[in-house]
Order: sequence, then C-alpha cells, then structure tokens
Amino acid sequence: MIEDINLSIACGEFIGIVGPNGGGKSTLIMTILGILKPKSGSVKIYNQLPLSKGVTGKVGWVPQTASKLPTNVHITVKEFITLGTLNKNSLFLPLKKERLSVKKIIQTVGLEEYANTRITHLSGGQRQRAAIGKALASDADLILMDEPMVGVDRDSRNSIMKLLDGLCHEQNKTIVMISHDLTSIKQTVHRMVYLEEKIKFDGLTVDFPGLSDLARLRGIEPTHQETDLGGTNYQGNESIITLVPGRIGEE
Amino acid sequence: MGLGSFIYRELSPILKEMAPYIPGEFFPNYFLIEYFQRPLIASVIVALVAGFLGTFLLIRNLALIGDGLAHVSFGAIVIGLIFGGIGPLWWALILSVIAAILIDQLQTHGILTGDAAIAIFMTGMLGLGLVLMRVWGGTATRDAEGYLYGDILLVNSQSFDIIVTVCIIGYFSMLLLYHSLLSISIDPIAAKIQGLPVGSVRLYFSVITAAIVVSMVQIVGALLVTALLVAPAATAQLLGKSFRSCVILAQIIGVITVILGLFFSAEYDTGSGSMIALVAASIFVLIAILQLVKNSIIKPNEN
Repeated sequence: MIEDINLSIACGEFIGIVGPNGGGKSTLIMTILGILKPKSGSVKIYNQLPLSKGVTGKVGWVPQTASKLPTNVHITVKEFITLGTLNKNSLFLPLKKERLSVKKIIQTVGLEEYANTRITHLSGGQRQRAAIGKALASDADLILMDEPMVGVDRDSRNSIMKLLDGLCHEQNKTIVMISHDLTSIKQTVHRMVYLEEKIKFDGLTVDFPGLSDLARLRGIEPTHQETDLGGTNYQGNESIITLVPGRIGEE
Repeated sequence: MGLGSFIYRELSPILKEMAPYIPGEFFPNYFLIEYFQRPLIASVIVALVAGFLGTFLLIRNLALIGDGLAHVSFGAIVIGLIFGGIGPLWWALILSVIAAILIDQLQTHGILTGDAAIAIFMTGMLGLGLVLMRVWGGTATRDAEGYLYGDILLVNSQSFDIIVTVCIIGYFSMLLLYHSLLSISIDPIAAKIQGLPVGSVRLYFSVITAAIVVSMVQIVGALLVTALLVAPAATAQLLGKSFRSCVILAQIIGVITVILGLFFSAEYDTGSGSMIALVAASIFVLIAILQLVKNSIIKPNEN
C-alpha cells in the first residue's frame, strides 16, 4: 500500500523512480498504466484515464520481465518489435507504414544485424533493447520502464542509458524508469523520486541526498556508535571461507 | 449446399487424376472413391489448421487444453449418438464451446488456476460419456469407439461440411488475429497497455480451439487429438528460426503426418487416429534425434 502520492510529470522529462524492494515502485507504475486501480484519488495521462482510447497508443511499456522472455517462443527481433505496432485500431496485420517504422526502430535500438535472430539467442542487453524497441513501435511519447537494467552487463547498460537519453533529448520522449541501480540512474535522469510507501524525495537529480542523508530520510538509525565501528572482536579468528584469486561466474 | 460440398466438388476430380501416381495397394482408393476422398480432404484441412492452432497452444503452455476439450466432445458425442436430435458433431461443437468458455472464465476470475479447470471438465464429460454408453449405449457403442480412437469412415457428407466450415473459419480468423494472439501470448499486460482487447481475444481463442478440436475428433479420435495438435507444432519448433516459420512448418509437418498416417493405416488396416498419432510422434523423435546429433557435431563443447 502506498499513500499520499502526489506526482505530476511533464512532457520531455526523464524521471527515475528509486526505492527499496516492496517500497511500491511497481505498484505505482502499474497504477499509472491502469493495470491497477487506485483505492482513492485518480491518475490522468494526457488528461484522460489510463487505458482509455486516446491514451493507449501514446504509452509504451517495457516490463521487468523483458530479460526473462519466454524461452518457448521462437520469435525474432523483427517479429517481436512488430507486435508493438498493434493497438485498438489495428488488431490485424501491420500495414506497410508500420512495417517501415519497425525497420527504423530496429536501427534506433541498434539491432539491425540481429533483426532475424531469435530473441532467446540475444544477450541480456540486446533483449532489453528489443523490449525498448517494442515499446517505441507504438509511436509512444511516454515510455514507462520497470527495472530495465536487470540482467544487463556494464557496457550494454551504458549504451542503453545513452539510447534513452537520446530518445528524451532528440525525440522529446518522456521516460519514467524504475530502478534500484542508484549509481547508473543518477548519471542519466533529470529528476528522481524516492519511494518507500510514500514519496520521500522528489526533486532534481543533483539535489538527491547522499547515503547518510538518505538513511536519515528513511528513518534508519546507525547501529554502531561512532566510537565502536562495528565491533572488531572477530579479528584473529580462523577463516571459514577462503577464495583463491581466479575467475568465477558464467561467461 | 455448404462449403464442404463446394470444396469436395472442386477437389474430387483433381484427386482422381492423382490416383494412378499414388503408391500402395489400398491407399489409391482414397483418391478414387468418394467414400474415402472426403476423409482424405478433411484430414489435410484439419492438419493445416491443427498445426496453426498448435503453435499458439505451445507458446501459451496450453498443450493440454486440446486433450481436455476432446474428452468433453467425446461425452457430448455419446449424448448425441444416444439421444439424437442434432448430429453428434453438433452436440460436441455446442458443449465443447460452452466448456471452453467456462474454463476460460474460471481461469480469468481466478476461481480455479492452471489446469484444474481443464481436468475437471475433461474427466467429468468423459465419465458422463462412458456411463451413458454403458447404460443406454446399445448399437451406439461401436460408433462411440470410433470417436474415441478416430475412424475416418465416420466422415460423411454432413460431418464433412461441419469440419470444413469450422476449419476454414478457424484458419482465416487466426490468420487475421495472428499478431494480436501472439502479442497476448507473449505478454498479456503489455498487450492490454497497447489497447488490445485481451479478454475478448482470449475468449475467441478458447472458442476457436474448442471448435477446431471437435472438427478433429472423427479423424484422429478424442483420445489422440493432442497428437495432431501438439506434435507437428513441437517438431516445427525444433526446426523453425522465427515464429512465422514455426507456423508454416507445423502445417507442412501436419499434412505430411496425416498423409503418411492414412497411407500406413490403409496399407496395414489399422485405425486412422492411432496411426496418425504414431507417425506424429515418430517424426518428432526422428527430428529431435537429428537435431541432437547436429548440435553435438557443430557445438561439441557446449552442454
């Protein structure tokens, strides 16, 4: 349950919504999208209710599950992005105009050479680009994303952030992005919202509090006194875990 | 005059011309004699539409719904055979569509999750069919067995009309809603946000699945419907590079399956449904083994 939410987002803004797990980030975004109904109060997008006819074509959605797309669907990048062109008025086969826009979007998200590759064969970062492409295919002006950086390596993360920044500045898209990756989100977004059951910070990225201020904001008190930094009574004990330098993890 | 008669009239002379080139002792009769021509045409049409539908069922993890609805249709067919009125296929069509809508509603409203709703309808209607058969069956029992295991000789001009009409409507409506169905199968929430009528498309899909399953029952039998619905689509997934290629391959493999199945069943005098199911599974196993061998040769170091 989140409460006292008073949020307005202007056209062309790039907003990062951050906060701990269970803090209500996904609930907030699902309510903006109209999948969840608010218990009280209201949500308006372009002055209309979410999911209403004038809104659906303007809103693009990049789900958290983008990195976990079903593995049993043998669908190519091109087929996947094409699905984004569907809307209330075109349930059927995409028209020529839409097929052309799909081609352009594949270029925008930098997946030309993978257009005919199955999405399950892509890396996490490429799959995320495909999901962003699908959201863009509807010609959306407002793009909402739930944790787009999960399962994405460092290089891809940087290039996706650049892509989003370009969409915002060059194409005047409005982007609302949920993330728990504070460092990378702070490098990109203009405005940050800290959500933990209610909005605890809403302001420019440059004004976002540092770690100790953030802890105070969240009501977390330091566990150790400043004179006793964490208790040092383990020193001299026998090691129970030892790692020998080498390479670990999946390639 | 229905769609079936029209299709039959157009295709019958072509089949007759093909007959001299068809191998086998008995199989050429399928191309020559009216009595066998209808089942042959119906089998090919059913295979095309089953391959198409099956590909969607697989991506929605609904492989079992075909089986469930086929069992429902069996119960309905026994009612039809015993009590008459409208033909048994009509009974099956009506009751299976109702069951499909109820299953969809039970799942949508979260009253029953997963396969439980399918399992209840499936066993309930199969049980009803078997009880009715035992109590009032009489001469209907033999026919009912044909519906259970598939018997192409059940395909007469009336049922041919129903099968062809259902399959053609099913095929073209799926073609029209292809992208919407795919979109909803992959991510229903994203589809809803895009403005697609997710609930209606899901309901349509349930209804069309029920109707197509009923159209398959005479040929492959209620117990074996899944073979033609799932195996060609699963084989196509081993080979296809894109979703579109999977859809096309599933139909081609489906047609090859029924033709080989009918050929062997004609030559060795076995039931059509069981032979089609056997061929479908054999093709899958063969392709799966070839793929495994190919993968181990090309990428021997990968697990």
